[in-house]
Amino acid sequence: MTATPQSSSVAPRSGPPEPVGAPPKRSGRPYGEWLLAALLLLPNLALLVIFTYRPLADNIRLSFTDWNISAPVAHYIGFDNYKTWWHDPNAHEVLKNTLIFTVATVGISMALGLALAILLDQQLRGRNLVRSAIFAPFVISGAAVGIAFQFVFDPNFGMIRDLFDRVGITVPDFYQRPGWALFMVTATYIWKNLGYTFVIYLAALQGRRADLDEAAEIDGASAWRRFTKVLLPQLRPTTFFLSITVLLNSVQVFDIINVMTRGGPQGYGTTTLVYQVYRETFVNSRAGYGATIATIMFLILLVITVVQVRVMDRGMRRD
Amino acid sequence: MSDLTRRGFLGVAGGAALATGLAACAGTGSEGGSSGSAKAGGSSNTIDFWSNHPGKSKEAEQKIIADFEKANPGLKVKLTDAGKDYEEVAQKFNAALAGGSLPDVVVASDVTWFNFALNNRFADVGALFEQNGLSTSDYVDGLYADYLYENKHYAIPYARSTVVFYYNKDVFKKAGLPDRSPESWDEFTQWAPKLQSAIGGGKSALILDDGANYLDWTFQAIAWSYGGGYSKEWTPTFTDAGTLKAGQVLQDWAKKKYVKTSADSASDFSAGLGAVLLESTGNLGGFKDVKFDLGVGFVPAPNGVKCCPTGGAGVAIPSGISAERQKNAAKFVEFLTNAKNTATFTQATGYMPVRKSALQEPSEAAYLKQNPNFKVAVDQLPKTRPQDYARVFVPGGGADIGQALDKIVAGSDVKSTFSDLGGTITAAYNSQVKPKLKS
Repeated sequence: MTATPQSSSVAPRSGPPEPVGAPPKRSGRPYGEWLLAALLLLPNLALLVIFTYRPLADNIRLSFTDWNISAPVAHYIGFDNYKTWWHDPNAHEVLKNTLIFTVATVGISMALGLALAILLDQQLRGRNLVRSAIFAPFVISGAAVGIAFQFVFDPNFGMIRDLFDRVGITVPDFYQRPGWALFMVTATYIWKNLGYTFVIYLAALQGRRADLDEAAEIDGASAWRRFTKVLLPQLRPTTFFLSITVLLNSVQVFDIINVMTRGGPQGYGTTTLVYQVYRETFVNSRAGYGATIATIMFLILLVITVVQVRVMDRGMRRD
Repeated sequence: MSDLTRRGFLGVAGGAALATGLAACAGTGSEGGSSGSAKAGGSSNTIDFWSNHPGKSKEAEQKIIADFEKANPGLKVKLTDAGKDYEEVAQKFNAALAGGSLPDVVVASDVTWFNFALNNRFADVGALFEQNGLSTSDYVDGLYADYLYENKHYAIPYARSTVVFYYNKDVFKKAGLPDRSPESWDEFTQWAPKLQSAIGGGKSALILDDGANYLDWTFQAIAWSYGGGYSKEWTPTFTDAGTLKAGQVLQDWAKKKYVKTSADSASDFSAGLGAVLLESTGNLGGFKDVKFDLGVGFVPAPNGVKCCPTGGAGVAIPSGISAERQKNAAKFVEFLTNAKNTATFTQATGYMPVRKSALQEPSEAAYLKQNPNFKVAVDQLPKTRPQDYARVFVPGGGADIGQALDKIVAGSDVKSTFSDLGGTITAAYNSQVKPKLKS
């Protein structure tokens, strides 16, 4: 390191010497580097502010108004919308639907995705074809999937009806019974989303340390112990990533529900929080109230995400 | 801790984006943010017509547009697919109100027009016609009056319909029933076991729309026939004896499996899955190729009570476009609904003629003679009545009523379901309508 007049004028520090090769302190970074970093970050930060944080702030502001979406003006009404939601008898059903749909889609699509990834990580004939087949639905639009599965679940002419008829079972009316309707949209979304969890887990499996598994096998560990004690810990970062992204994707599912059930049957049979935002804003014209539900959804997601991060962080430190 | 913060930040950012996405699309709704002509986009010599092509009318609309452009060389009409149903058209129009690029002419249904009129988003089309030397006197009085509020008309009738009683004559014959619609819903209830037996298992005596697909419209006919209804002006009447009776009749049919509610009732009926369908005249055009003998009758109306609701859509002109664009739009609307084009449109779809003189058009007279089923709706017109305010004037009223009816079909207690519905409608009226009513 070449001494400069500035560095030579600094008084010697007490305490242990800094390790050789340690990164320079922030205050020591050349001005040009800061400028470059700012230039590189600025476009993305600007986009985030314009397209994410400004709408977020706008949405929160609207949640305190009585805005009818067709009206040119909105009036401040304090917490009235929040009180209305709290006392809304349908809010409980919507929250329950959201919870069931999210837990089922996150849990099942991750479990199935991992199982398929492990299976297709083996040397099997035709595995590339099967991998492609599993991933393909993920790139199809939700609306198209919804329309296709309308025919699958059609109680009069659908494929499920045909299968049930062959074994002499009466097919449930998926479109008129809330429980079955929720099952239908959940199953449809899992089918569509499975390719995503599968391909991420497959990539993680291919990057894992095979020697650890071999060592455990030589030490006599059972297959189950090797799975739970060797493989799963290695996949923890991937599981963490998937749990957040699949959760966020599941909570915002709209197209499949809109195409297949329009949030029904019987009112709120398959209405989730995001669908209720749409319904209140665009069907009932109560945009202020819709903004309130969107804000509540945001707060719920915020809490869940923070809890997820803390739990995963603790788990990683333990490993 | 730094990892936690970074991940937390990413999670929050993602959550924020998805949570606010839909509501943010709606615009800001700021005070005084009315879309004026300055930000309404559009061109003065191109008329942007937003339609959902009711009754599969796209070809008919294209033909009328071609004729208009031929007759008016200086003007062009752009036919925009604005949604698959009336609700989607209204949603697109709401988005345009926030975004500023308004159409010149837009289809507005019986349920959607009033909210736009109440919020001054539609122009007084009656006044526009008068200013431009166009007449409204030939429109069927009742249909034109449906769009009246505060002495202004906010739309011109276009794809107007009524509910009619469709039936499968083959099944009626097999059941030994007369070739006609019943005189009351009680008579239908007596017929139902015979129809059910004649049509067979897995099928239904009656097919109705489900609550997400206009059951709230067709059920009005049943409620009215028992002396009930959804409201008297702005006062809900869901717990009146007649409405409760109608709800109970519907539930009893469901319990005995005489009725099936469907997201696509017309397709189910045309596939032979039901003996009777209560639906719009606008479906008649789609029933030309059914494989059974189709009957069309009046909606049951005991004791001469008017029990048939009108429905369908009109065409409106936004208030936020320039006077020049409004003038051209009025010209196009008048052409779209003149006697000749009314005949073209009704023959293509099954909707009712909205002009009195359309019935004198030679092509229309000949068509009605050759297709007596189409004439039923025309003959039924004097027996129709305007719909209840709770369905058509309260934002979301129709959807709320449909949801309640779905619950009743599924077995929920009729009285408590209707009572809750009355509370929902009253709350929506108090917050969305009452403060804006001028009288």
